[in-house]
Amino acid sequence: MKTMNEQRLAELENDLNAIRDEVLADLGERDARYIRRIVRLHRGLEIGGRVLMPFGFIPPVFIAATAALGLSKIIENMEIGHNVMHGQYDWMNDPSLHSQTYEWDTVCTSASWRRTHNYEHHTYTNVIGKDRDYGYAVLRLSDDVKWHPGHLFQFINYLMLSVLFQWGVGLHELESERLRRREITWKSKLPFLKEFFAKGGRQAFKDYVFFPLITFPVAPIVLAGNIGANLIRNLWSSTVIFCGHFTQDAETFTEQECENESKGHWYLRQLSGSSNFTGGKWVHLLSGHLSYQIEHHVFPDLPAHRYPEISGKVQAVCRKHGIHYNTGSFAHQYGTVLKRILAFSLPDRLRVRLPVQGLNQAT
Amino acid sequence: MLARQHEHKAPQKRALQWLGKQLFNREDPAAFFDPLLEQLNPMWVQEYTPARVERILQETADTRTLVLKPARHWSGFEAGQHVNICTEIDGVRHQRTFSLSSSPALWHAQGRITLTIKRLPGGRVTNWIHDELETGAVIGLGEAFGDFQLPAQATPLLFLAGGSGITPILSMLETLTAAGASAPAALLYCVRTEKDVIAREKLEAMAARHPNLTLTVIATNATDSPRYLTEADLASVPGLQDREIYMCGPGGLMDLALASLDALGVDAQRVHKTFFAAPGAASLDGTDLGGTVRFAKSELEVSSEGDANLLDMAEAAGLSPSYGCRMGICHQCSCKKTSGTVINRLTGKASGPGEENVQLCISVPQGPVTIEV
Ligand code: FES
Repeated sequence: MKTMNEQRLAELENDLNAIRDEVLADLGERDARYIRRIVRLHRGLEIGGRVLMPFGFIPPVFIAATAALGLSKIIENMEIGHNVMHGQYDWMNDPSLHSQTYEWDTVCTSASWRRTHNYEHHTYTNVIGKDRDYGYAVLRLSDDVKWHPGHLFQFINYLMLSVLFQWGVGLHELESERLRRREITWKSKLPFLKEFFAKGGRQAFKDYVFFPLITFPVAPIVLAGNIGANLIRNLWSSTVIFCGHFTQDAETFTEQECENESKGHWYLRQLSGSSNFTGGKWVHLLSGHLSYQIEHHVFPDLPAHRYPEISGKVQAVCRKHGIHYNTGSFAHQYGTVLKRILAFSLPDRLRVRLPVQGLNQAT
Repeated sequence: MLARQHEHKAPQKRALQWLGKQLFNREDPAAFFDPLLEQLNPMWVQEYTPARVERILQETADTRTLVLKPARHWSGFEAGQHVNICTEIDGVRHQRTFSLSSSPALWHAQGRITLTIKRLPGGRVTNWIHDELETGAVIGLGEAFGDFQLPAQATPLLFLAGGSGITPILSMLETLTAAGASAPAALLYCVRTEKDVIAREKLEAMAARHPNLTLTVIATNATDSPRYLTEADLASVPGLQDREIYMCGPGGLMDLALASLDALGVDAQRVHKTFFAAPGAASLDGTDLGGTVRFAKSELEVSSEGDANLLDMAEAAGLSPSYGCRMGICHQCSCKKTSGTVINRLTGKASGPGEENVQLCISVPQGPVTIEV
């Protein structure tokens, strides 16, 4: 990470706070209209998908229904659920859009997500050993973690994690790696497991039992479509999320670096640990504006649809302070994520001999 | 937004709730469709009771009466009760509590209710109602609540109103006169000047039709020297000791009236009051107030000295618990307290030390407290 003295950090803090204050002062009608429109879009897609699905014996209808349901889940998870739970719309005082009461359409319970994501990941972004989102305790993505032969197969782990992403996220708080190392007991995880099975059960019941059963003669089609929709959502959301922090230039940090850090230092860490990708309006909407991961990490509780508007200002602040603003096309950013996963599956001696640009040095 | 109270949990309803939870991750499955229903017809919204503003009457320079037609599933009310209304102003939902000023009979006969609302200086919602709200608009309505209610049997009554505190009393008087009540009733109505009398015609018409209803208007600021309610005003009410007394108005008037009634030897049990203005900070002497509050779910801790309430403290700590009235009426801010003692600002009473529900906006910590927020 770039080193800046405390005075520079304070200046950085002021510059970013100014952007934040400007948006906060302007929140109102426009933001409320935006999120309500997205909620209507979600309802429309979900209802459309569910209604069409039983007619999925007609192949184009099957594709349309699966796509509609998949899109509805993506929009609900990314642009509505994730952002609402960050408290981006709490100021509206609308209980259906409130961070503390919103429950989203995925296996992970909102309460668990608020603990592991809003708190752990957003506080300790990319701090190895503290941010458990870094590699999800499954993948080795930097040489801060010692290599062992199991890592050779991590690309397969990555594929499985992506396919079953919602279950992986749901189980994240189990801290299986710490259970394995016997740092914590299973007993301490019982309340969490109870929550997990209740929510996971509900999600599975809905998509794999209830909707197929009420459309009995075509149950297999509905089941297949629902599985497809969940798969689309899993693959897309894991890809978006991996692009947020595991790209080539996204930095990692040590615990010592962040001891007693100032707000300015925290800002600097968010800026250097996150990465954006570019794309059209739809790409941003479907990624819940996590395509603006940098802006999101600096201002997690500003309504996400504002990120494109302030991105120019954030970039200007980065230029002013000589901080790298990590962005690129979706394909490019995702390519570097895949490279990173592959490169770090190899033992260090082999990896440094590979011509994988940028990943040879410790990041 | 507005919790529906008094919900009867029939088995079908429970089954529906269970299914809603399975399918939509929410208790109220119908409200899942609200965003679409609202587009089609705002009166179809399920999450709260929508009410259409049918007419707006200008009562005085700063008081309006809204004639509302709530969706038919609204459960009705008793004279003297309040409702929460919900409006959206510049993207932000606001809830406020107002007394119903019409009689339940009107609701039963025509499905209409009225709210009589005075503009408050600096009031976000009341000013919006006066300046922006138009006929045809739809606002949200909660279920009626409150135990400021008429006695079951005919008894001699005294009503004491101050300013817009007349509203629940209007509803009560209309109910009484419509039922042809035989027991005597007196109204002492304090206003700043004669121009501030709300619903004068209605009141005078009622008094004219019902000989056992007497009406006295006291204009406090009609002349240069203010003329406040006196013991003599109250003593002049015949058979004062035997009347049930209902009062509603600003804090100063209520305090004055309570002191006078006490001096006249009226049994405090006979006095029913409903408060109208936000409770002042005056009621608590801040010697041993304040403490460290732990907001358990978010793992935050804040300390306070003096009479800061839990809602303000939570907000200062960057949390945003839901709230409505911020004055202890609507219960939107109710949260579970798991340990510690809080003082209820309205009653001045201390809570128990254990687990119970408290209203954040009127609870002041006394020593360390843990809240599930
Ligand atoms: S906000 Fe209404 S009771 Fe607290």
